[in-house]
Amino acid sequence: MAPRVSSDDLMRYLDGEMPPEERARVDTELSTSTELQRELAIFRALKADFRELSFNAAEYGESVWDRVNERVTRPIGWILVAAGATVWTSYGTYIFATSSTNPWEKLATGAIAIGILMLLASVIWERYRELQNDPYRDVHR
Amino acid sequence: MQPDLERELIRKCKAGDARFYEPLVRAYEPAGLRLAVAMMGNDQDAQDALQEAFIKTYDTLHRYDLRRPFGPWFFQILRNQCRDMLRSRKAKFKVEALDERLEQRPADVERGPERSRQRNAAREMLWQGLELIGTEHREILVLKELEGFRYTEIAQILEIPEGTVASRLYHARHALRDALLGLNVEYP
Repeated sequence: MAPRVSSDDLMRYLDGEMPPEERARVDTELSTSTELQRELAIFRALKADFRELSFNAAEYGESVWDRVNERVTRPIGWILVAAGATVWTSYGTYIFATSSTNPWEKLATGAIAIGILMLLASVIWERYRELQNDPYRDVHR
Repeated sequence: MQPDLERELIRKCKAGDARFYEPLVRAYEPAGLRLAVAMMGNDQDAQDALQEAFIKTYDTLHRYDLRRPFGPWFFQILRNQCRDMLRSRKAKFKVEALDERLEQRPADVERGPERSRQRNAAREMLWQGLELIGTEHREILVLKELEGFRYTEIAQILEIPEGTVASRLYHARHALRDALLGLNVEYP
């Protein structure tokens, strides 16, 4: 004969997730079944032991907020720096290009600026490639 | 935290003001840490998981529905973060030095050193039992027994139908009891 209190019912009874009328039904079954009583007693004992297991999270020292804050606000900083740099570079280039400076001087200065940018880009690309292939990149501390 | 206040803070965060995220982090940090420690088994990995979960939560706030409670949504992200870390080679559930952090209950202290010793031993066995059962069993037990979530909240966090929560809990409790029996811990 199938048990009249299923394992799911027993869990819902134990965890207080059952409406009163259903609880009354389980109470009736419990009063007549020592097997059910024993099973419930085991789960209650486990539950009680878990209550003893709580620990004080405050003892874990410093909050993670500083590290979280650093990470959530950093992109905004980069965006502002990049936007400002782009505006100033464009403006400076425009002023320089439309000035009455000797074309040879403009060409030489432009070559230096473009060369520096190319070198910077290649270094960043190289570092990025290294980081992608670094077998220890996920190792912390 | 009051739901209205919580919603207002999230609204401001969604508008891009990260300053309003701090009260939320501080409010959810203790419970988040408890869940993360229980899932990861050690405080260092737990803090890393918690930090990443808070960052992911902030980054995905634009998708958050203000009509829903924030807690289960955050714990769902934290739980997924813990699972990802456990799956990766970064971390493995391992109980380390938890004893020192386990709270001394006033009742234990009043009943003397023998009672304290017994309770500490029982807690240690329970941690060891949790180490022996699988992640799926451990996470549902932690959500129910340590955090006291209702079945509806557990279903939301674990992304499972509410009807399967009781069944998952039954199997998890059985697995834990079997693990404890293996450690020679008898239950009535």
